[in-house]
Amino acid sequence: MRNKAIILLMGWLFIGAFLPNNLYTQSTIQGTVFSSDGEPLIGANVLLKNSDSGTSVEIDGSFSINASASDTLVVSFVGFQTQEIPVGNQTTFQIILLDDSEILDEIVVVGYGIQRKSDLTGSIASIKAEEISAISTGNVEQALQGKVAGVQVTPISGRPGEGAVVRIRGVGTLNDASPLYVVDGMLLDDISFLNVNDIESLEVLKDASATAIYGSRGANGVIIISTKKGEYGAETTFSVNVFYGTQSLEKKIKIANAREYALLANELSVNEGRSPLFDNPESFGEGTDWQNVIFQDAPMYSIQLSANGGSERSTFNISGNYFRQQGIIRNSDFERFTMRLNNTYKLGRNITFGHNLSFIFSKNQFEPGVLGSAYSADPTIPVLDSTGFFSNTTINAPVGNPEAEFFYKDDNTGTGYQLIGSAFGEYNFLKDFTYKMNFGADLKFDQSKNFVPVFLVSPIQQNQQSVISVADGRRINWLWENTISYFKEIGVHRIGALAGVTAQEFIFENLGGSRRNLIGDTEEFFYLQAGETGTETNFNSASEWSMYSYLFRVNYTLMDRYLFTGSFRRDGSSRFGSENRFGYFPSLALGWNLVNESFFTNQDIFSRLKLRASWGKIGNDKIGEYEGKPTVTSNLLAVFGTSEDIQNGASIVNLANPFIRWEETTQSNVGFEFGILDNRFTGEVDYYNRTTNDILVAVPIPKFIGADNDPVINAARVRNTGIDLKLDYRDSFNKFNYEIGGILSTVKNEVLELGEGKEEIFGGGLGVGGMLGTRTVPGMPIGAYYGFQIAGVFQTEEEIASSPNRGVEVPGDLQFIDVNQDGLIDSKDRTFIGSPIPDLMYGFNLALDYQGISLNVDFQGQAGNELVNAKKMARFGTSNFETTYLNRWNGVGTSNGEPRITNGGHNYEFSERFIENGAYLRLRNVQLGYTIPTSLTDKIGFQSAQLYVRGTNLKTWTDFTGYTPDISSNSVIAVGIDRGVYPVAKTISVGINATF
Amino acid sequence: MKMRIFILTGLIVLSGACNEEFLDKVPQGQLTTDNFFQTEEHAIWATNAVYNLMRSFRVHVFAYLGMTDIVSDDADKGSLVTDANFLRELDDFTYDAGNLSLNDTWAGYYRSIYRANLAILNIPEVPNMDENLRARLIGENKFLRAYFYFKLVRWWGEIPLILEPLSSDQFKQARVSVETVYNQIIQDFTDAKNVLPIKYPSAEVGRATSGAATAFLAKVYLTLGDFSKAEQFALEVIQSGQYSLYPNFEKLFQVEGENSSESLFEVQATALETGGAGSQYNQVQGVRGTPNLGWGFNRPSDDLVRAFDRGDPRRDATILLVNEPLPDGSDFVHDNVNILNERYNQKAWVPNHPGDIGNGPGNIRIFRYADLLLIAAEALNENGKTDQSLTYLNQVRTRARGTRNVLPDITETRKDVLRTLIWQERRVELAMEQHRWFDLLRQGRAAEVMIAHGKNFIPGKHELFAVPQVEIDLSGGTISQNPGH
Repeated sequence: MRNKAIILLMGWLFIGAFLPNNLYTQSTIQGTVFSSDGEPLIGANVLLKNSDSGTSVEIDGSFSINASASDTLVVSFVGFQTQEIPVGNQTTFQIILLDDSEILDEIVVVGYGIQRKSDLTGSIASIKAEEISAISTGNVEQALQGKVAGVQVTPISGRPGEGAVVRIRGVGTLNDASPLYVVDGMLLDDISFLNVNDIESLEVLKDASATAIYGSRGANGVIIISTKKGEYGAETTFSVNVFYGTQSLEKKIKIANAREYALLANELSVNEGRSPLFDNPESFGEGTDWQNVIFQDAPMYSIQLSANGGSERSTFNISGNYFRQQGIIRNSDFERFTMRLNNTYKLGRNITFGHNLSFIFSKNQFEPGVLGSAYSADPTIPVLDSTGFFSNTTINAPVGNPEAEFFYKDDNTGTGYQLIGSAFGEYNFLKDFTYKMNFGADLKFDQSKNFVPVFLVSPIQQNQQSVISVADGRRINWLWENTISYFKEIGVHRIGALAGVTAQEFIFENLGGSRRNLIGDTEEFFYLQAGETGTETNFNSASEWSMYSYLFRVNYTLMDRYLFTGSFRRDGSSRFGSENRFGYFPSLALGWNLVNESFFTNQDIFSRLKLRASWGKIGNDKIGEYEGKPTVTSNLLAVFGTSEDIQNGASIVNLANPFIRWEETTQSNVGFEFGILDNRFTGEVDYYNRTTNDILVAVPIPKFIGADNDPVINAARVRNTGIDLKLDYRDSFNKFNYEIGGILSTVKNEVLELGEGKEEIFGGGLGVGGMLGTRTVPGMPIGAYYGFQIAGVFQTEEEIASSPNRGVEVPGDLQFIDVNQDGLIDSKDRTFIGSPIPDLMYGFNLALDYQGISLNVDFQGQAGNELVNAKKMARFGTSNFETTYLNRWNGVGTSNGEPRITNGGHNYEFSERFIENGAYLRLRNVQLGYTIPTSLTDKIGFQSAQLYVRGTNLKTWTDFTGYTPDISSNSVIAVGIDRGVYPVAKTISVGINATF
Repeated sequence: MKMRIFILTGLIVLSGACNEEFLDKVPQGQLTTDNFFQTEEHAIWATNAVYNLMRSFRVHVFAYLGMTDIVSDDADKGSLVTDANFLRELDDFTYDAGNLSLNDTWAGYYRSIYRANLAILNIPEVPNMDENLRARLIGENKFLRAYFYFKLVRWWGEIPLILEPLSSDQFKQARVSVETVYNQIIQDFTDAKNVLPIKYPSAEVGRATSGAATAFLAKVYLTLGDFSKAEQFALEVIQSGQYSLYPNFEKLFQVEGENSSESLFEVQATALETGGAGSQYNQVQGVRGTPNLGWGFNRPSDDLVRAFDRGDPRRDATILLVNEPLPDGSDFVHDNVNILNERYNQKAWVPNHPGDIGNGPGNIRIFRYADLLLIAAEALNENGKTDQSLTYLNQVRTRARGTRNVLPDITETRKDVLRTLIWQERRVELAMEQHRWFDLLRQGRAAEVMIAHGKNFIPGKHELFAVPQVEIDLSGGTISQNPGH
């Protein structure tokens, strides 16, 4: 009894502590809450400090609340600085909340929601729209290069409209390691449709705390992109963004001219025991520079018109963009037209509807494969022969005439129509709850057409029957998400929670065919029906996958100091057999805003100081749709009978693995953020440790097994550790503003173990015979280069006889190092000779601004990786030579590096000869801008106008001899192998951005 | 309230959708292992899929010619001097374990073996099918499997002997002894011989017959030096009365000679307008230049030209020279200034056909009755049955000479001399048909002949090809390299 009384008393005291002091003298006070630009902050919270009574702001920005004179109003709204206002005797309040971003505490878009940056426990990098649109490219991924610590962007190529390979925090998988993209809530694998100018913000989610909410699709990181929206009650603004640029090749590969070629080819012939090819090499001059034949300076331009604004109850943003990029290789061209319509509508107080819709039309013209032939074609042969026809270039090497390729193969096009977007409804209920239903869809229809006329240049460059191929593809990708979120601030507690169910389905179908012997050679005949009946082939195939998920997340912030995030997702995917269909992906994270601690209040050095730590498990499901299901290939035709009848054949061609299971990544992250001197100097450092189990690998298997494919198995455990660092300093004096920033990230990639029974995984077919040049073993990075080390060049027979050798060498051949010291050179002497993974990636930038004149300079680079010059390894005949061959051995003492010239054999075994340093530093972007003073723009009716001149990829400092050290690959066990990549162009452009 | 019902409904509908059905996606428009080998038709298809590979580039086309004719003294690489360096390396014995030809052929043959193994494993389980057909199809697959292994064992010696479809984790397979491989080959050919028909209805011509299996047994035993068994099986074929020499040697290799009375086994091909049923066998050996028929590889060597007796009509039927009219008279071979001393394999020549030149319609003659007769002659001579030997040898010569007064009957009775004459007869009769290299190996004189031919042949090394390094790497080291490589 007594105990009960004490408990009651204590309970009363406890509750009492939180009760307002003057309960009995309340009166109704009224007010409005607006943003600094005059927008009513609908839904903003107005609370009485230390109480649980409060209200939210109405649609017209007004509120009313009962309060006493001693109360303090706490006015808060997501994205704005919280204000505390003592009530006193005042009864009406006009409150203006300042934008959070004004004190660098911006709002960050996170998975399925938004959060204050100060409340974040995860490692998330935010990129502003201006940073992306300041690069001359039509591709968002390429614009990210060098912008985010821990993100490696390698352009797939410089082909117009082409994207990039993006790797977040190294390669955690041997499989597809590209991140998940979330565009306005729609989950996508490809964002090539996006128009750079439409992007409002871009966030890169790096650690498990941030990505685990995306479960099985988050393991390679997530990039969330929000497109531009209008604002409620904002005046309509029109914008024009135009740029025009000229692209050119930064540098050519150094290859031999005609005289050098003739000299080298003669020497090669003699070395291989034949008579010389040319009577008098000296009689040749420069000859044909086939690189000049294929490359050109090409324009790139973009025109964007947009308007946005809003009324009290709706917002809109509409834009149209035309982007065109002709390629620096002739006959390559890309155009894209995009239209976007992002609107929101308020229906009553609690319901919002909206849509983000984008329509894209794109057209691609693909160049014929001339990059390799320009590299290897015979320079002694002119483009045209004496009759004015294309020369036969195939006499000394089986390399077609590139000019003829352009002429005959200029009808290879792709067109695409894409409708992509989402529609959502939001319903606020019980004050703190929001239900959101989002339906997203990505519908894409594309068509490719390829026509090749009859032609004959040489036996290996000819086509005997004209042929048209047409293929239509149809892709439907829909996503249905239902989430309920909860957000409440109770005194010092800030609680957010989220629960949701999502389903996604992806359906692809294609249909196409070909016919020969067309009735005409011009575009109006590029239809199947113009071809001869009886020559037709056709195909039609389809694939589907689906995913179904539950997701949960809780965020809790105590006293703005202690932060907690927990999330959980359960995914089911059709890609996995029923045994392993579901995956479970939890994460936990803690944060500590030290700067808000009382013991930190009496200092004015740190304006921001936060520690965070996270742990989580994420998955990767990026394998083919039916990897687990062995399929039977039909149409393996056989011929039988005296009348040569065709019979169907069917068999298993590709092996499948029905036991395939989820690849799981466990990632830990420790981070530290600071801001010094009113955030003039800010920085973020993160250390991460990412371990992936059961990595799904398409593993080459011995051919004696008899499969055509490399089957996917759960094979390995790989760890990536590293540091991401970002530092910025910004300041101004008088009207001079400047900012210096830099990012740096390190990656250490190590294979911990391979799957059952595997001691090694080979990859990367090189040279004519498809030698395997990478070997993945525990203790080494994924896909490390594996070949012979070189001691030098054998000068004499005696030297060969007295050294370990392979039994095939003659003077002038490379001397390989006898690594296992068994006295002979064989395949067991191969060893690790390089890593494709950079130790260090960095970027730095400088921005200056003085009275409307601005200068931005970006550098970007990487170090510590090697590349393979695979172009040089594959010689099918006496094709042209890189000029490095001029330093060859051709007599005692002439060279100890470059061996004697041959087309194949010993010196083309994979060795250090073909390994090059992959480090580079690139002047990524320079932009000089001038903002026309308002006094002038007012007169011409503009709100603002900026003119600029910009250079992108102006200069790359590197030892690498290829066009570009950006060598991408889809297979992580064959990275950095340069077989000839369409180089990314240097671009100089001028542009204008204006609003009115 | 309405809204809450709406939300609730949404969630319930969505949850309800989360059943296995939504996540069960099966491959579209394709058979899977779940529904394959369920019908008689499937069993036929699975068998046809093995025949399908007989036309493939890796089995009977490019690298194949390199490892049969070009490597031998019968042919040079041909084509432009510098084209296809990996074939030149075979010609010159400068290849190593990274050579593309070796990889391609190894892969092509084992891929074919996989298909045969799959059929052999599964056809016995196919429900409700005609038992005779079942036995025949299994027999065909065994025949084909033995054919592939017979090639592999002669190229590489000890090899992995895979007799059932492996899964991807069974990559550790050791090489087995040559004897073990041959035992399996004999077993398979014997099984095939016992169940395969002597003849097929006209619509199925081209499938393996018991005669073909018997003939292969003769050849296998001859290779193994078991002359009595070689004799036994060769005579069995002869005495079956099913085969006879085609009267016109030259026409035998033209369209009219396809599936002739002389054919024991040949790869069937045809040129459809749409492609898909031809082979590139004809193209890679076709005239390079004008008329524009192909790539011009596999050039008959000077040594082969000299090997024919004066006036032997087979020389003209085997070798196509510059300025020579094409066999169908449609044109003649124009000189190609970029090729020195051009010559082409006339036995691989085909006339104009639908599709492009890669769509070759020519059947690839694998085993001719003339080959079998010479096997019989060789075995009989070794077994001391000279008269009988001469009978078969002279049958071949009689047909070869046609109406000309050349190639007199051989009457030699000294065993050693006759052996040499039979070998010589094999060379000229079967020239450019991819037998020479195997004959030289079998006869134990590859080193002698090739060194005399001026090649850098290293005895004890070049009798066997190098095992592809890729295979050694990928097998986790369970596959070893051949001596000297």
